[in-house]
Amino acid sequence: MRLLRFRDKTDSCEGGSATSRCKRIRQHLMDSASRRFGPEASWVQKHVASCPRCQRRLAAMARVDLGLSTIKSQPHSLDLLMRANSAAVRMLNHRLREAARDRRLEEARPEPRLVEKYAAYRAAVMNVAACIAILFLTKAGIFSSFDKARSGGQAVMKQYYTAQAGEDLAGEVFKS
Amino acid sequence: MFSKAVSYEVLWHSAAYQAVDASQRWIVVAMQQYGHELVTMLWRILGNEQDVCDAYQTIFLRLAYLEDSRRPQWVKAYLFRTASNVAITVLRERQVEKKTLSAMSRMDEPQVVERDFDARHLAESLRRHVAQLPEHLRNVITLRDFGGLSYSEVARILGISSGTARVYRCKAVQLLALWMNKEECQ
Repeated sequence: MRLLRFRDKTDSCEGGSATSRCKRIRQHLMDSASRRFGPEASWVQKHVASCPRCQRRLAAMARVDLGLSTIKSQPHSLDLLMRANSAAVRMLNHRLREAARDRRLEEARPEPRLVEKYAAYRAAVMNVAACIAILFLTKAGIFSSFDKARSGGQAVMKQYYTAQAGEDLAGEVFKS
Repeated sequence: MFSKAVSYEVLWHSAAYQAVDASQRWIVVAMQQYGHELVTMLWRILGNEQDVCDAYQTIFLRLAYLEDSRRPQWVKAYLFRTASNVAITVLRERQVEKKTLSAMSRMDEPQVVERDFDARHLAESLRRHVAQLPEHLRNVITLRDFGGLSYSEVARILGISSGTARVYRCKAVQLLALWMNKEECQ
């Protein structure tokens, strides 16, 4: 009956006040349960006083609690958070830079050499280079110098043949 | 003095905020929000400052490089669960190292280890046993006792009810007590 009444009451609760009320009731239940059935309860204490097995168990659990409290109470140096944060931020930055490089490396493909890359244009380039060379040689007057040297040489040879074999033969050999 | 410390902290956070890439700034905000609690929890689990720094870095790197670069729905839950897992992994590694080293030193020269009751020994023993607990019990102990979170928060993070969290903690303490008692008897 009492339970039903309690249920009615909780059902009628709404919103935030209901939640806080539920919380309070839960807490109250837990407190009373631990008072009645926890290690501090008088009937438990009475039993423990006369039972060595339970004494050992409780002592072991108390030891665990003591260990946990010891760990909680051990202080770390004041600047530990600062050091940890700095190291983490440094590492984050470093990894970001590395990641960009890694991505580039992941996407990298073998690059062809310059000669292989422009093989299709090789003939055209050679032709252009030859034209430029001919133009350069013409501009420098090398071809006219060749002509001059040839005609000079011919004149010398004609003169030699005239002196050695006569003018008629020399005229026939160097007709042009 | 306090105001000075606070201003230094603010300065540090703004510098860190600027230093980090824009896409990762929410991580610095998370660091600012939960950093203190995380460091405290890591310190309680590991008990070594260098290990704490290493584990802290690992946690935030994992957060930054989540799959598909997605931001977790509940950052606090992600951070605390990752912290618990990372810390336990580091703790186990250290224990293996210690075991190997002690075995080697025992081979070199026989030593008599004094097993006096002292706080340090007790804390070390407890840490060692916590690392051996089953995952569901260990998570509750680490979050509740080392992380200092309330039962409702622990329950929400682990996706269990508050009552289940209490039961798991109780079971974990019983198991720890049993193991520590056994160790004491040996």
